[in-house]
Amino acid sequence: MLERIGARRVLLIAALGVAVLVGTVAATNLQTQAVYYLTPSEAKAQGVAVGQAIRLGGLVKIGSMSSADLRGGNDFRFVITDGSVDVQIVATGAIPGLLREGAGAVVEGAFVAEGSFHATQVIAKHDEVYTAPTAGATPAHRTAP
Amino acid sequence: MTETTIPRGNTLPRIRPWLGIAAAASFVVASAMALFWAPTDAVQGDVYRILYVHVPLAWLAYLAFVIVFLASVGWLWTKNPLFDAMAVASAEIGVLFTGLFLVAGSIWAKPTWGVWWTWEPRLVTTAIMFVMYVGYLLLRGLSTDFSRRATRAAVFGIVAVIDVPIVHLSVLWANSLHQLPTVLRVAGSPALDTPMLVTLMVSLGAYTLIYAYFMSARVSLELARQGRLWTRT
Repeated sequence: MLERIGARRVLLIAALGVAVLVGTVAATNLQTQAVYYLTPSEAKAQGVAVGQAIRLGGLVKIGSMSSADLRGGNDFRFVITDGSVDVQIVATGAIPGLLREGAGAVVEGAFVAEGSFHATQVIAKHDEVYTAPTAGATPAHRTAP
Repeated sequence: MTETTIPRGNTLPRIRPWLGIAAAASFVVASAMALFWAPTDAVQGDVYRILYVHVPLAWLAYLAFVIVFLASVGWLWTKNPLFDAMAVASAEIGVLFTGLFLVAGSIWAKPTWGVWWTWEPRLVTTAIMFVMYVGYLLLRGLSTDFSRRATRAAVFGIVAVIDVPIVHLSVLWANSLHQLPTVLRVAGSPALDTPMLVTLMVSLGAYTLIYAYFMSARVSLELARQGRLWTRT
C-alpha cells in the first residue's frame, strides 16, 4: 500500500519536474536570445559580425522586392529597413504569401557583408488592424517593426 | 480534521441544462457569424477568421487563471472547500483553453507568418503560462490530505497569475513577431471594422457561456468528490 503511494508520488514529482524543466527551457530561450530580433539600426550599433546567426526585423522597403516568380528560388531579394538603416536581403527557400512591400518582416540568417544579409528563413509580420477590403483598391498597409 | 460545511445547493444543477443550451446555441450563432457574416480581411483574406476562435479562447484562459487566483485567495482566507473546487475547475478549463488557442494560433501562423511556431515573446510567455498551470494541476496530485493540497495549490495559484499580464504585455515590451493588441489597448478604439468587432463580441459571449457551463459541471463534480471524501472517514 505504502509502495503504491510512493511510486505514484515519484511519478508525479517527476512529471512536475519535467513541467518545470520545459518551462525553464522556454524561459531560457527567451533569455539567451533575450531579443527576438534586432532592427537594422540595432544590428549596426551592436556591430553584429559577418556570419553571426541572428534575426533581423523591419519593414520591406517599397520598390525593393523581387517579382513573385522568383519566390522559392535562391535569389529572392528585398530590402529591410527601419527608417534609418537599410539591409539588402537575399533569401533562399519559401517566401510567405503575406510578404509585401511596406509591411513588416523578420528574417533569420546572417550578414554576408556590411549591409548585405543572407536569409534562411523569411517570416512575414502583419499588423493589428483588420479591415474589410475596399472595392477595387489595393489596401494601404500599415505595420510597425 | 476541522469541521467544514460542505456547500449544498440546488441552483447549480437546475440551471445547468439551460446554461448548456445557451452555450451551444450561442456557439452556433457565433461560428456562423465568424465564417459567413463577418467580412474578409483586406490583408489576410479569409484565414483571419480563426481570430474569432483564437482571441476569445485566449481572453477566457486569462479570465480562468484570474479566477484561479481569486479562488486561491478565497481558500486561504476562509478555508471554504467551495473555493478549492472553483480553483481546480478553473485551472483545468484554463489549461484546456490555452492548449486550444495555442493550436489555433499555430494554424493561423503557418499561412500568414510562414512558420508553425517561433520562440518570440508572446509565444514563449504563453507556453510558460501553459506549462505553469499544468504544473498546478500536477502539484495537486502530490498530496492526499485535502487541506494541505488545497493550501499548496492556492499558493501556487496566487503566484502563477503574474504571467497573465506578462503574456498580454509581452508584445509591447519587446521586439516581437506577434502583432500588437487590437482590442485590449490604451491607444484609441479597437483596430477592427465594426462588423468584425460585433462578431468578436458575440464569439466572446459564446465562449464565456461555454466556460460558465464547464465551470458549473466541474465544480459540481468536485463538490461531490469532496462529499465522498468526508463521508469515507
